[in-house]
Amino acid sequence: MKTKKLLSLILVVAMVLISFAGCGAKEQSGTPEQPKTEQPKTETPKEEIKANKILKMGGTGFSGVFNPIMSDTTYDDYITSVLFEALTINNSEGEYVPMLADWKLSDDKLTYTFTLKDGIKFSDGTPLTTEDVAFTYETIACPDYNGPRAYAVSSMKGYDEFHSGAKATFDAIKIIDGKTISFTFADDKAAPANIESFIYGIMPKHYYKFDKWEDFLALNEKPLGSHVMTFDSYAPKQFIKLVKNQNYWDSANAAKIDGVLVSEVPDESILAALQTNQIDFAQISSSKDNLAAANALSNISVTNYLGNGYTYMCFNCTRPQLADVKVRQALMYALDRESFIDAQYGEGLAEVGMAPISPSSWAFPDASDLNPYKFDMEKAGQLMDEAGWKMGSDGFRYKDGQKFSVNWLVYTDSSWPGTLSGMAADTWKQLGVDLKIELMDFDTVVSRTMDPEPADKDFDIYTMGFVLSIDPDPTGALFDDDAYVAGGFNSSGYKNADAMELVKKGKAEFDMAKRAEIYKEWAAIMNEEIPHIIIAYRKELWGINTRVKGMDLGTYAKWTDVIKNISIE
Amino acid sequence: MKNYIIRRILQMIPVMLGILLILFIILEMAPGTPASNMMNPKATPEQKAELIEKLGLNRPWHERFISWIGEALKGNLGYSITHKKPVTAVMKDYMGATLLLSIVSLAISVLLGVPIGIISATKQYSFADNALTVFSLIGISIPSFFFGLLLLKNFAVDVQLFPLFGLENPLLFNPTFWEKFKDISWHLVLPSIVLGLGSTASFMRYTRSSMLEVIKQDYIRTARAKGLKEKVVIYRHAFRNAAIPIITLLGFQIPALLSGAVITESIFGLPGLGKITIEATLTRNYPLILGINAMLAFLTLLGALVADILYAVADPRIRYD
Repeated sequence: MKTKKLLSLILVVAMVLISFAGCGAKEQSGTPEQPKTEQPKTETPKEEIKANKILKMGGTGFSGVFNPIMSDTTYDDYITSVLFEALTINNSEGEYVPMLADWKLSDDKLTYTFTLKDGIKFSDGTPLTTEDVAFTYETIACPDYNGPRAYAVSSMKGYDEFHSGAKATFDAIKIIDGKTISFTFADDKAAPANIESFIYGIMPKHYYKFDKWEDFLALNEKPLGSHVMTFDSYAPKQFIKLVKNQNYWDSANAAKIDGVLVSEVPDESILAALQTNQIDFAQISSSKDNLAAANALSNISVTNYLGNGYTYMCFNCTRPQLADVKVRQALMYALDRESFIDAQYGEGLAEVGMAPISPSSWAFPDASDLNPYKFDMEKAGQLMDEAGWKMGSDGFRYKDGQKFSVNWLVYTDSSWPGTLSGMAADTWKQLGVDLKIELMDFDTVVSRTMDPEPADKDFDIYTMGFVLSIDPDPTGALFDDDAYVAGGFNSSGYKNADAMELVKKGKAEFDMAKRAEIYKEWAAIMNEEIPHIIIAYRKELWGINTRVKGMDLGTYAKWTDVIKNISIE
Repeated sequence: MKNYIIRRILQMIPVMLGILLILFIILEMAPGTPASNMMNPKATPEQKAELIEKLGLNRPWHERFISWIGEALKGNLGYSITHKKPVTAVMKDYMGATLLLSIVSLAISVLLGVPIGIISATKQYSFADNALTVFSLIGISIPSFFFGLLLLKNFAVDVQLFPLFGLENPLLFNPTFWEKFKDISWHLVLPSIVLGLGSTASFMRYTRSSMLEVIKQDYIRTARAKGLKEKVVIYRHAFRNAAIPIITLLGFQIPALLSGAVITESIFGLPGLGKITIEATLTRNYPLILGINAMLAFLTLLGALVADILYAVADPRIRYD
């Protein structure tokens, strides 16, 4: 009897153990043999890494994709930006300058010829050559590629043939010698924004070359590049530790800090972690309360700058009640965005939006030429009357017996759409609008706005944030008529041939002054027609420990851009 | 007994298939796609469509269901979209922290809850019983996010005794095993108190009510009448009979060991399964959602089976032959 019981007990324990073991056992199967050629160790004596000289950052959101052509979260991008160097980089003014290579643009504006600087080496000591540059870009274009950077090569010559596998060589890339390489764009694709294809980290071919795509991906957590940091260790959802690249090829400009540690710190604890010196710097979510709390910390200096992007509201212009521009303008006049900004971000941490261009860009027009749609209920009512929507006895507006009713898709992943729509619920009600707010998650908003075919887009109004690149070209984005397709970013259904003409002209214009004129004209049209209205330009708020020096942040100066200047006292 | 276990395991197969089918249908009905989140402003619609195709998501769901099961039997649960590595590898990354936290906190709650429950029951309506009952009600009613933040405020910010986040200190260079053990234990103190105290209360309540019922039985009086020591009466005779509901509770804790405590993990910045499950849902990372839920379903079924077997160990009257 006793033994029988004992036996069943053992059996139970064994079953539990087996089930746990089974969960993790199979994972080894995909791990490839590392394609690593042994390099002679460089003889420089290694300096000791000191824990108090490591720069500690806190935040949430790395996915462990530390690969410059695969990463698609902000934190993964930070890591790849201090591990890998690209051909070009932007300076704090938002201009592109050489990083690994100088370049010349051909007279037909189609071919970029890069000349690598002397003596560039990866952190393992191998020289960086044009072979590595070609490898990086061919990988983005290759048929297996399933990362987010296809746009960097898709307008180059011969992309379709190479990507579909029809042709084994990528016509756009020509290796001229060990130091010189050229990239040619397709005939009709000349544009100043093309330089933005060359901001992605160059990857060592000898380390990353692959037979199976899975082998390439398996190196995501073991990155190897040429920048001032090298990879040390990674613990998923906990931290990634980088240490100083002791072999940095440009030894005069090597890092002044011994390493970078980025830890996963929950939002609620960011301020406390800064206060207790457990992290040196972090982005703090922009709000009045956080700004006051951060300013109260004696060991932290607070800095903020305009983020390169905006938040916007999209009107579905195919809806009968929103097709009239007067109605869209009335709704904007009836929305008190100044109070919204004050409630959501606090004064100084956001500005009222006007043009679909970042105010920090050279292309941003003179604000006095644009209508800020200052809160004005009277004017809003007037415009509604002009559009034929008359106030009924029940407090709602009617036209041809039809009540003015709109729905607004609000996602709850961040708080501002809720705040804004809550305020609109009040003022729009006074205007006589029957507003229905639908709460959902971000992906559901996307699935009802951008994803469906034009005829199936299921919304009247939605709000979202948009991130810009440095070049102001809006092609393919919210205001591009051609992006009004399933999966495109434009969901408004608004079409304007004149505006599109300007977009196309602006994209191909290489003269900056002429280009600025074109965008000014375009911004004025969009500010008047508002198929999408820019709600606000937000500022990013950062707290930095006073022991950290040289971290001067700005719209075009992320901490990774200034990594070489940072020192720790 | 052996036949019973085999029969039960065979029964698990159709149940498991049913659960997976429901999971697939729910995911199929969920709006959005994994590409909704890969929203680089420069990606064209064609590039997004190509991504969906490469993820295999343009195939009808029943086809995906069958091939998923086929692959799962071979141990391949697919590729996690955001992590760009196999689902099994991702699960393994996060399993350690979750298991550690839940085993420690389960130990706390069983080792505290069961003895306290026994004491309360044997001294019913005494001061100790009342005090412990109040304590357990507090434990049940305090929300873990509040308790967690309170502990952090007091013991990690005001008095900087414990670390604020994480599972280990990455700036320990070449730690010995003992140093590392100490470091991790130190990080686990606050989260396991938060997680442990919540369920301590429920273990205590279960033990108390079940003990109270047993203590009033005739055979307990008989045991006392034949002159057994009170300790033997309570722990040998009464507790053993009262243990059945506690075992049920324990059996259902097995899947909970791995489901992770989302709130506690988030507040303390611990790299656990709970947190990535939420993230996977928000980014529509289908392969990871499926993998984690399939594992949890399996463990739930297993937990029920384990509890049934343990009944027989605890109570000789229960037989499965």
